Amino acid sequence: MSEGHGGAATLERARPAGVRRRLTRPQLVKWGVTTVLLLFVLLGLPQLMSLYYVDTMTQVAVYSMVAVGLGVLVGRVGLVSLGQVAVLAIGAWSAARLLFATTQPYPLILLEAGLITMVAGVAIGLPALRLRGLYLALITLMLAGGITVVLATVNFPNGGHGFLGYNGSLLHIPPIRRPSFAASDPAYYRFSVIIAILMFALVFAHIKTKPGRAWAAIRQSEPAALAAGINTTLYKLWAFALASFITGVAGGVLAGAIHYLYSIGFPTQDSITLLAVVLMGGVYSLWGAVVAALLYQFLPALLNNWGVSADWLIILFGIGVLQVLTTAPAGLADQVPRDLARLGRRLRRAAARGSRAEAP
Amino acid sequence: MPPWAEFEPFIVSGLALGGVYALSGVGLVVLYRATGVLYLAFGAVGALGALIAWSLITKAGTPGWAGWLVCVAVAAAVTLGYGLLFGPALAKRDPLVKAVATIGLTLVLYGAMDLLWTTSGGQARSLTLPTDNGGFTVGTVQVTWTQVIALGAGVVLTVATAAFLRYSKLGTAMRAMANDREITATLGVPVRRVEAAAWLGCGVLAGVAGLLLADLVALDATTLTFLVISSLAAVLVARLRSIPLTFAAAIVVGLLHDLLTPIVALTNYRDMTPFVIAAIGLLVMSRHRVIAISREEA
Repeated sequence: MSEGHGGAATLERARPAGVRRRLTRPQLVKWGVTTVLLLFVLLGLPQLMSLYYVDTMTQVAVYSMVAVGLGVLVGRVGLVSLGQVAVLAIGAWSAARLLFATTQPYPLILLEAGLITMVAGVAIGLPALRLRGLYLALITLMLAGGITVVLATVNFPNGGHGFLGYNGSLLHIPPIRRPSFAASDPAYYRFSVIIAILMFALVFAHIKTKPGRAWAAIRQSEPAALAAGINTTLYKLWAFALASFITGVAGGVLAGAIHYLYSIGFPTQDSITLLAVVLMGGVYSLWGAVVAALLYQFLPALLNNWGVSADWLIILFGIGVLQVLTTAPAGLADQVPRDLARLGRRLRRAAARGSRAEAP
Repeated sequence: MPPWAEFEPFIVSGLALGGVYALSGVGLVVLYRATGVLYLAFGAVGALGALIAWSLITKAGTPGWAGWLVCVAVAAAVTLGYGLLFGPALAKRDPLVKAVATIGLTLVLYGAMDLLWTTSGGQARSLTLPTDNGGFTVGTVQVTWTQVIALGAGVVLTVATAAFLRYSKLGTAMRAMANDREITATLGVPVRRVEAAAWLGCGVLAGVAGLLLADLVALDATTLTFLVISSLAAVLVARLRSIPLTFAAAIVVGLLHDLLTPIVALTNYRDMTPFVIAAIGLLVMSRHRVIAISREEA
């Protein structure tokens, strides 16, 4: 799934039309390993884990979608957004509102929540895309701050009436429903993983086709992309729309996963932490998003279980960002396998030297 | 619309808040102009200084003035240390990368503060300056000396910094570096030393701002760390460049935020003020922009 550092690698793979390329052996191995891993995550994992970790892994699935959306923006197009948690909140809000108001099947509602969030994201993105780099990152932070304040006032729907669907005097708050075929926690976990796989496939399809190549060109140099006839505004907006759609769907999955939504669950500073873990995980590969989600949701749950304060993780994330930015731009998903390979080579060499020394 | 008398106290508190935002904003602009770093850990180092000062004063019985000095010194030391350690390593990178790196420092400091000064279950901390007690009245409104100091510090530092950048040799060097670091170095300006001076100055301002905000707003790691987002609004309106504009925007942000408090329909939305002002400022001012190929804006 990972495919180098965007740019050159993506362009190189563009082949003349009609030439079917055969999968090489390493590629076959990679796809085989990925399939086996996914089957294990879907079928084996829920049986091995306690309910606590099943719920945690559902969150991991949700945040891997958010992370892959942010990864597209940061890694593929070079747009840094500091407001993705606010986008997630918009998705969760619209899904919750639709779930209370209608009896539509859950997957349809996820699609609608994704589309609503996409429209919101494009509406925000269109003016914001006039800005570049640092200013764009900061305007998304400002917008996220604004959205958080609005959400704190209008609240999440709790089964009340009216457009906002919030009733402050409700004594018994009904939980947000789940799909009938995935009511139990392990079933809902499987449902979220399948949705996450679909979203990853959507991103993969984008990266391998025309938008992916356009994004790579924009990331290298926007003036050059413009000169090459690429509609830079369209493709940047497209990336925004894709990331918002995926994040909106993730919000919909989150709504059913935790049953009750509160605005304090989506603070602005979480968007900042999210960017930190996504950078740590690696923005140039789809695996990076999975690593980021594990860092962001699984590690805190693990530490919590061990009775260690989650503040240590925040410190770790901070150090991780500094480390990634100064020495390893492709993140953990790229660095760890490479370092392990290097360590393996060094050990083998040491072993060989050792046996040679003993031989005489 | 409530009667005018209800707004009067909020004018005073709004001006005080605006003064501190101006102080923070000027610190951010000076550092950005000299080094190209937007220092997002500005609030966090101030909070760290203020919390250490609180511990010293309430737990160790240190006299107040020593605690305040320690607050400023800690903020300055952490900022300078970060600048010396990571400044050169990231000097040639994009401004965005430099800004995101300071998020790393923010998270480290924030995690450490949350660990050492636990917020959950603990009693609310407060750091009060003796200037809270004294004051005078204008009409019917009570004004404390702390509020006067906050606005005064904002005004004085804005003027002083503008003059410093305009007339002093170090200030000229900083302005030159804002234009082009390489050429400035070629002309014989000790680039590293000028940058260190900017980091130190920014750190001192962060400490002062942290101290004042701990008194005026709240002594709480989360609040103080992320309050920098509000001062960022003013800096953004000024496009990270103009010091007078930063001051004006900061005062408007502070005033408007507090003036919305008595209006029932808007009081819940008053925390949006900095974001709305920054969004409007940025979007309106970027209306006629063409693609920038220059190094600075890329």
